[in-house]
Amino acid sequence: MLLTKFKDEVEEILSRYPVKRSALLPLLNLAQREEGFVSEPAMRDIAKVLDLTPPQVFETVTFYTMFNFKPIGKFHLQVCKSLMCALVRSDEVVEWISKKLNIAPGQTTTDNTFTLSVVECLGSCGTGPMMQVNDDYYEQLTEEKVGRVLDDLAKNGDCPLKSGPFMHPMPLAKS
Amino acid sequence: MATQATTKEMVTLTIDGKSTSVPKGTLVIEAARQVGVMVPHFCYHPKLSPDANCRMCLVEIEKMPRLQTSCSTPVAEGMVVKSSTSTQAQEARKSVLDFILANHPLDCPVCDQGGRCDLQDFSHEYTATTSRFKELKRVFQKEYFSPLIETQMNRCVQCLRCVRYCDQVMDVKALAPVGRGTLTEIKAFGAHELDCEFCGGCVQICPVGAITSRLSMYEFRPWMLKRTDSVCGYCGDGCQITFQTKNNDLIEVNSTQGSGRNNGDLCARGYFGYHVSEHPDRLTLPLIKKGNEFQPVQWEDALELVGQRLLDIKAKHGADAIGGLISGRCTNEDIYVFQKFMRGVVGTNRIDSSVRYGHLNGVHALQRVQGTYRWSVSFDDIVSADTLLLVGTNITETNPITGLKVKEAVKRRGAKLVTIEALETAIGTISNIVNLAQHHLGVKPTGYATAILGLLKAVVDQGLLDGEFQAKSPAYFNDVSARLQALSWDSIHGQTGLASDAFKQAAQVFGRGKEVVILVGPGVLRAAGGFGMTMNLLDLLLLTGKIMTPGCGLAPLAEENNDQGAFEMGGTGAVLPGGASLGDPEARNNLSQAWGRPIPETPGSSLPQMIEDAQQGKLKALFIVGENPLSSLPPSSGIHSALEKVEFLVCQELFLTETAQQAQVVLPASSYAEKDGTFTNTEGHIQSVRKAIDPVGDSRPDWEIFSALSVMMNDPMEYEDVKQIGKEIRNLFPGTRTLGPAPLPAQPDSSSIARYVTVDYQRDMATRYQLPTNTTETEEITLQVSQSLFHSGKFSRKAKGLLQVEDRGKIYLHPEEAARRGVGEGDTVKVSNSLGEVIVPVGLRERIPQGVAVFPEHFDEEVRRLLPYSIDPETQVPYYKVARVHFEKLARQ
Amino acid sequence: MAEYEKILLKNMEQPGYSGSLADYEQAGGYQAFRKVLNDMQPDQVIEEVKKSGLRGRGGAGFPTGVKWGFIPKDHPGPRYLCCNADESEPGTFKDRQLMERDPHQMLEGMAITCFAIGAETSYVYIRGEFRLGAKILEKAVQEAKAAGYLGGNVLGTGRTINIHVHAGAGAYICGEETALLESLEGKRGMPRFKPPFPATHGLYQKPTVVNNVETMANIPHIINRGGEWFAGIGSPPKSCGTRIFCLSGHVKRPGNYEVPMGIPFREFIYDVGGGMRSDKPLKAFIPGGASAPFLTPDHLDVKMDFEAVAMAGSMLGSGGVTVMEEGTSMVWAALRLMEFFYHESCGKCTPCREGSSWMTQILQRIWNKRGRTGDLEMLDELCRNIAGRTVCAFGEAEVGPIQSTLKYFRHEYEALIREAEATMPRSKEIPVMTH
Repeated sequence: MLLTKFKDEVEEILSRYPVKRSALLPLLNLAQREEGFVSEPAMRDIAKVLDLTPPQVFETVTFYTMFNFKPIGKFHLQVCKSLMCALVRSDEVVEWISKKLNIAPGQTTTDNTFTLSVVECLGSCGTGPMMQVNDDYYEQLTEEKVGRVLDDLAKNGDCPLKSGPFMHPMPLAKS
Repeated sequence: MATQATTKEMVTLTIDGKSTSVPKGTLVIEAARQVGVMVPHFCYHPKLSPDANCRMCLVEIEKMPRLQTSCSTPVAEGMVVKSSTSTQAQEARKSVLDFILANHPLDCPVCDQGGRCDLQDFSHEYTATTSRFKELKRVFQKEYFSPLIETQMNRCVQCLRCVRYCDQVMDVKALAPVGRGTLTEIKAFGAHELDCEFCGGCVQICPVGAITSRLSMYEFRPWMLKRTDSVCGYCGDGCQITFQTKNNDLIEVNSTQGSGRNNGDLCARGYFGYHVSEHPDRLTLPLIKKGNEFQPVQWEDALELVGQRLLDIKAKHGADAIGGLISGRCTNEDIYVFQKFMRGVVGTNRIDSSVRYGHLNGVHALQRVQGTYRWSVSFDDIVSADTLLLVGTNITETNPITGLKVKEAVKRRGAKLVTIEALETAIGTISNIVNLAQHHLGVKPTGYATAILGLLKAVVDQGLLDGEFQAKSPAYFNDVSARLQALSWDSIHGQTGLASDAFKQAAQVFGRGKEVVILVGPGVLRAAGGFGMTMNLLDLLLLTGKIMTPGCGLAPLAEENNDQGAFEMGGTGAVLPGGASLGDPEARNNLSQAWGRPIPETPGSSLPQMIEDAQQGKLKALFIVGENPLSSLPPSSGIHSALEKVEFLVCQELFLTETAQQAQVVLPASSYAEKDGTFTNTEGHIQSVRKAIDPVGDSRPDWEIFSALSVMMNDPMEYEDVKQIGKEIRNLFPGTRTLGPAPLPAQPDSSSIARYVTVDYQRDMATRYQLPTNTTETEEITLQVSQSLFHSGKFSRKAKGLLQVEDRGKIYLHPEEAARRGVGEGDTVKVSNSLGEVIVPVGLRERIPQGVAVFPEHFDEEVRRLLPYSIDPETQVPYYKVARVHFEKLARQ
Repeated sequence: MAEYEKILLKNMEQPGYSGSLADYEQAGGYQAFRKVLNDMQPDQVIEEVKKSGLRGRGGAGFPTGVKWGFIPKDHPGPRYLCCNADESEPGTFKDRQLMERDPHQMLEGMAITCFAIGAETSYVYIRGEFRLGAKILEKAVQEAKAAGYLGGNVLGTGRTINIHVHAGAGAYICGEETALLESLEGKRGMPRFKPPFPATHGLYQKPTVVNNVETMANIPHIINRGGEWFAGIGSPPKSCGTRIFCLSGHVKRPGNYEVPMGIPFREFIYDVGGGMRSDKPLKAFIPGGASAPFLTPDHLDVKMDFEAVAMAGSMLGSGGVTVMEEGTSMVWAALRLMEFFYHESCGKCTPCREGSSWMTQILQRIWNKRGRTGDLEMLDELCRNIAGRTVCAFGEAEVGPIQSTLKYFRHEYEALIREAEATMPRSKEIPVMTH
């Protein structure tokens, strides 16, 4: 059972809240982190731990867009399409990626490395166009940068261009 | 009835120009209804907490800038509300309908809700009934949802009434609103079918045709249906139902919101179990056995034969060679006429009824201690109680609607719940009452007696006794206290697995309660020592000084729909109609005067007694009406040999049951859907049963058959109609037979109590206050045969709706218990003990305690063989629901 | 270009500042907290914040001190503080910077708030996508705990103050305070109807305060330098203090800028933001995040404070200023925002749920040259029937872009419809919908 494997982490999560059900989102996150998606057995296990019925867990999972019900590619490319990024050519970013990887939004590459999604505002409007890949943000994208990111990820599993703690604009150097 | 008068603060407000005064806290929509202003709404429902999501109930309230939802706004002093007199509100409602009709398909012609649909009604009232939406509607693929409940999500208006009902009222939580925005749909879990209690609540509460009954799918249009208000025939809760019939055909059953003791709620049996009456196996003609075969005959022939044989046997062997057994399924009138026939025409008091199977324990205990044969509380008292104790009920499966009262008390009104049940806290697909308990004492099915003593001991140990009462009856108090103190916590712990702290905490909660109701169910009433345990629970009420307090009392749950009526109508031989003992000279006198016939001098006898007498050749004839003892009793009771020895067996039945197959004559009876009469529910409330369809085939109401037989036996007792019988009964027992909207609970009689605490208690105190002796435990598992939610009474296996949910028995184990034995869901096991062996499939259920296995009693034809049989020394109630068994895993399927 | 004193961004703009506890303490951090614990009563803290005139920085702009004052004194508790870090309003990205670069500033604010309202447990509800931010916050919480600023027996006073980081999972509506509470309780993030308000029936139906990250970040400074000092900055009495405005769109220097409230948009966009990115002039701008109605070049001299922007027919909202140059289709812009609202509508109440779908489809048709006469009247009517009829402010939010673009740029819509009717025969109309 998934949750017995992470017994300590589960206990820590439960200890944060006076009411068990509050631990639902963190536990679902744990399950998805481990299996890549939220599986039915995981939902049942979580229901049992939290004294919920499986339908109650199911209804909550389906409300939030970050949970997947099926496995997806190794890298989930989530390109922001909201107005502020669209004003600075985010639609083209989607096209660049589509062209380079030969997939449309919603699809996964045949080698299961990349899944492309188009998502709403990621809270990075000043440095758009941008995308989130798994846990990391890649901002101020150009066609070249996009190419570099995809190559690095495919080759090394990571890319140094990911954003660190956000500050924009960076302060001008004081004399 | 609770008499705590709470002076509620009143608020005066004006709605559409009408002024009214309502208690503080009333919602504007409720206040409006009280002055006759109906505010349209979808998501509001009086049984549910407000959700304010449909926005249909918007009203204009002076001094508030925006329109307010009247379903979520409490009244305020001086409020001025405009509903139908507000153009703004009317425009808003029109726009809400526009919005709903955007995605709602206009498929009224193929929708079962058409004709009784809130959306249709409001659309007609507020707007042109077409949609102005000229875009793409969102479409959900229609998916199979369950055998009994159907969904068509395109129609859903997302009021979430179904989800909220399943959660807040039923505590089942089987329905899930899935997705977000317009793409929200109601599903169960993933792609799985709905698995729940199938109470039909979601179907009843859905304002449109998004959730409908699959059982009556496409069979009708509402305006074609004839409605007959009646009472459900499945259990002692006595729910108001409305039979919906078309051309003398039963189409569906529902219950009007707010009506009856059930407040419009039903369970799977009431809602989906109505097809019994129309089952093709219904007996349509009388049958006479010729050789080994049954021959259908005309009524005259059958009645003549029965009358003749009975007279013969009476002449040859005496009236007491004839016995009668009637069912608590029959109406009060049926039972009354039956026992009048048996006593007055046949001349014997040897009558018994299904009351003997357990309900008698409850009634007799109430009579012995508090002098009433009915509850001194009602469902309303359960709802308003501040403390509830449930002992051996498994109430969500046995009496689900009484269970809803418990749920309401706990969930909506914060009552404290203490449970002593053979259940573990566990979430499943049906509700589990112990999940709601503040203090749950989980025991094995054999542990109730010890647990009750443990609770009593904890009450005494902690001095939670009523001082006044104690002072008035010191001998009783001292005796009980001494006996309880003599019991050791160690032994109690050894027998129950529960530490003294558990009992002490539960006792504290119980002792602090001001309005306390104890509900006791078949786990106790049908278990060995059941009568003694029930008496002990009454002692608990006495000791804590609660027995005379309004709103407090013991409530034994009746199994059959009219078990209470069967007792009251004298269906139990040693008790006369009206509850007086057979030996009571005044009562006998009254009765024989009214009947113009003498009451026989011989004593009554119980079913176990009749079995013995039959085996000894002393019972020559048996007239069984609606009962099926060959199926109800285990072989260890000796019922088989007893019936074989009976020379003349007459069965009056709906179906050719196991017992009927042994009969010489079978008489076809009409079901409760086919006749008028009354049932008395477990509260002691009498309600009218009304004929919804014509008698099937040539069947007749039971009382008519008895009447006809009396003519055949040259001692006619004839009645023109059911009303006449009712009148006769009412005249005999004035004041106790009123038909009203709510019961008048009986008042405990202080002289009966006085008698009990001075003399009567001594009779069996010693045995009742002794820990049961532990038998040497050589076998491994305690097998309990008990009622499951989807079956009840004696005819549920003929209900095609119920069979779709449960059509076979499995032996249910806790998953860990099963894992220990290397078995899983669907595996077969051999279950055996010294009485026999049986092979059954395994099911897993987390609420079953370890060391226990549960088998549904409605499918126990084979398993019954393993059950030992004993009889209660005082009440003669047979006990045969628990056995110790061996388990042996067989090859995996 | 005018130089304004930075308060919230001050620490992080120092070279070498890492946001660690050591750096924060060196910059004077947690002194306010000490002051509050040692020298002040909870009521005094609330008074100070009331005096400062601080208003919520999340979007609604409710006076913070007043909100804290609503917590009932006689309630047995427990009470809770929830910090709303669900920054999902398009155009807004300031809380991210505050959390990732100077987490202790906000944590100190939360600790002080817990003291003021009598809460022992508080949660930061951070949007699920901010993985880095959540990690940084968790590390900062651990640091603070280790140093005794959080946990049981805070700084030896015997008080308990705990902060937990709770990540969302992708739902803009969870930025609405009651939806946030529902989500924190582990349910679907559906807003609750008000009244009752979170102050009396909040998290687990207990008294709760929900405050934005930036609001929290201001608290230590108000304690350190006094409410009066704060009230003197910006545009008193109604819009005090600085705000971090987020500039995005067609400007030279998009980003976060902390300026006192009350400077005109012209100054903000052209001086601070460097002006338009090309020679195309400004066509329209959104003053306060996607929920705020569009404004035109005529409004460039409006002051960036709550009242002035409201008077101009929009709202200061989340502080996300988005600039659009000539050549940007307003229909396209409204559609893009409408798609966002349709995607994020929780589905609870009828007007928003059905209306968002309806309006999105109409806009899509118009944009895709399949509009019809009557579409604009339909849009007007739908907007009127959604705003003011919903459970939460999402209803007002989603009609903002459409109503304002119809008001100022109706001709663009009409042109597209004319084009559609000229080129597309009625019989060949097919609605276009992308979910």
